[in-house]
Amino acid sequence: MSTLEQIKQVVAELLKIDESRIQEDSKFVEDLGADSMQSIELVAAFEEAFDIEMDEDAALGVKTVGDAVTFIDAVLAKG
Amino acid sequence: MNSEQYLPLSREAIKILEKNGCWSRSWEKVKVSSGFDPTRVAGTIFRGDVRIGRLEGHFIPMDGIRRYAGIFDANLHNVVIGDNCHISNINGWLSNLIIENEVLIENLGSFVCQGESSFGNGHAIEVLNEGGGRELKITEQTSAQTAYLSSLYRHDDKLISALDDIADKYADSVRSDRGTIGRGTYIFHCQNIVNVNVGPGAILRGVQNLKEGTVASAKDAPTFVGDGVIAKDFIIQKGAHITDGSVLASTLIGEGTKIGRQFSAENSVLFSNSEGFHSEVCSIFGGPYTVTHHRSTLLIAGMFSFFNAGSATNQSNHMYKLGPLHQGILERGCKTGSSSYLLWPSRVGAFSAVMGKHNANFDTSDFPFSYVNEEKGKSTLVPGMNFFTVGTMRDGLKWPTRDRRTNEDKLDQIVFDVLSPYTAQKMINGQRILLDLYAGAEKGQEYVNYQGILIKRLLLKTCSRYYRMALEKYFGDVLVARLQHAHPSSLNELMRTNTDAQVDDKAWVDVSGLLCSRSRLDSLLAEIKNGGIADSESLQAAVVKTKQSYGADAWAWVVKTIPAFFELEEVDTDALRTILEKWHKSSLKLLNMVEMDASKEFEGSVRIGFGIDGQADADFAAVRGTFEENSFKKQLDDMREQVEKSLAQGLDILNKL
Repeated sequence: MSTLEQIKQVVAELLKIDESRIQEDSKFVEDLGADSMQSIELVAAFEEAFDIEMDEDAALGVKTVGDAVTFIDAVLAKG
Repeated sequence: MNSEQYLPLSREAIKILEKNGCWSRSWEKVKVSSGFDPTRVAGTIFRGDVRIGRLEGHFIPMDGIRRYAGIFDANLHNVVIGDNCHISNINGWLSNLIIENEVLIENLGSFVCQGESSFGNGHAIEVLNEGGGRELKITEQTSAQTAYLSSLYRHDDKLISALDDIADKYADSVRSDRGTIGRGTYIFHCQNIVNVNVGPGAILRGVQNLKEGTVASAKDAPTFVGDGVIAKDFIIQKGAHITDGSVLASTLIGEGTKIGRQFSAENSVLFSNSEGFHSEVCSIFGGPYTVTHHRSTLLIAGMFSFFNAGSATNQSNHMYKLGPLHQGILERGCKTGSSSYLLWPSRVGAFSAVMGKHNANFDTSDFPFSYVNEEKGKSTLVPGMNFFTVGTMRDGLKWPTRDRRTNEDKLDQIVFDVLSPYTAQKMINGQRILLDLYAGAEKGQEYVNYQGILIKRLLLKTCSRYYRMALEKYFGDVLVARLQHAHPSSLNELMRTNTDAQVDDKAWVDVSGLLCSRSRLDSLLAEIKNGGIADSESLQAAVVKTKQSYGADAWAWVVKTIPAFFELEEVDTDALRTILEKWHKSSLKLLNMVEMDASKEFEGSVRIGFGIDGQADADFAAVRGTFEENSFKKQLDDMREQVEKSLAQGLDILNKL
């Protein structure tokens, strides 16, 4: 499964929305309706799904699904 | 003044007084100081023993109208009047009073002392538990700290007995059949005042009814009691400001506290710099900076400090079984959101924000800086999250700047630090508990339950990291301050602790505003119990000393805690360098996260309602400004700069050790 697909799955499950609504340019807050607490939960869910640790402030600065893909791929690449 | 200084009235003086419409059945009981000017007394009835000082010159109170020293249209009974007072239009009586120099009393119903009174001192009030059991004997010397010990240490009979004795002793020392009005006090347009002592420099204007109490005041911290205030069995401490129909019953108002707009309080204490407007408090222990501003808010049977009550904040202390006997604690720095509700008994960890309605009884004291939320009727906790909010940072910066106490001899001893051994040790525990909960939770589990509240499993690790970050910041803050101020020439000197520092492995305590180590508090308690401290003055001196020890004790605790926290075998300069680097990273992260939180105040949806007929952005910019120009944002930028400078400076000092 690609990073994008995995992110879509996590986001759909956490925000309780249909996966088809989630696009690469979807904004977590404005388009997908994440509130501030859900933004933190998303970071935690990505960490668990990808078995990584994300830098808190940088992760909370991620605004779109595409940004999340780039961010997580970069963390995974660092190992 | 003493009795020898007073002389009988001369025949000529009596003649002038009578000509001015004065009357006495026994003029021999009226004595005056030398230089007494009888032409400045008119329309006055004298009963019992009356002593009058010199009546010379004039003074101009705040209304700008000059008052000449003198006594006009007054009824005096057993009073001593100091030098250069102005007393006029006393419809009832001034009775059994000692009125010190330069007092103005004008247009008053009556101010009398009936029988013996201790003027509110020693009166027992039912704080915290409305059903009783935590009776606190209030005196004008009661500090937040002594009240805390009296109310919260009921299990220690010897201590309670000693503290009650100290309060009783103080009450006995002021007990008298004469009330006192302190030097330079102004009393205007008041109705009835019975068995009340008023300290120097106080202003009482338009008071409706005061009974059995003390209005402590000082020249450097004058107290104001204003229009329509009704108070019974009360203590008002120096520099307090009470106005607008407020009603106090069995209540202590602390130094610099502001009360107004029909606020009502019963069986409560509101220590220094608190604010009570509109709302109602009943059986509360309001530590320093307890703030409630809204009409629909009721605070009942709770302990608070550095607290801000949202509108319609409410609690229940009643389960309709054995009576209103439950109590709750919101540790320092908590806030309650609008319409929040808490069911006592519950305890909320320090610096937490409570939102929603909570029907569960929970204890989150292991988790400071948390959000206590309501989700679908259940109480949930997000540990550590409130550390990264703009509100907490602003609160921490604002409290010290809002200390309204102007007297030198401040009663409440306050440690303002948001990050301190008190919160740090809680975060160390909290971090461990969160990781234990994570280890014990099933992966499919949405929540874990801890002491009556739910925490999202997914957030357990994240929140433990928040605590770690906050702790790295705290230890680094302390190290940076030490490097900058101790001017160490060697590592030993840097890490040296005071020989009389008192720390142990037990939890630090927040004695209603005063943070101290358990062993430091135990020493104080032992001294009270063994009779080494036996009066209000020595008790206050010991509390002040405890506060003075905070810095040295906190440093000793940090030195003791650093090795385990940072997993260090040896604390050498390399280890300290690593701590500084971690501090640098965590501090910048904190500032970034706070900035992100603050920036939400300038994003999309907050513009709703701006530009009512168009031009929302321009209207928003005109009213709220831009984020880049926001003063708090600029403050954050300055803080970032300071972090960089401190890191460089700290590393430089370490390199030279």
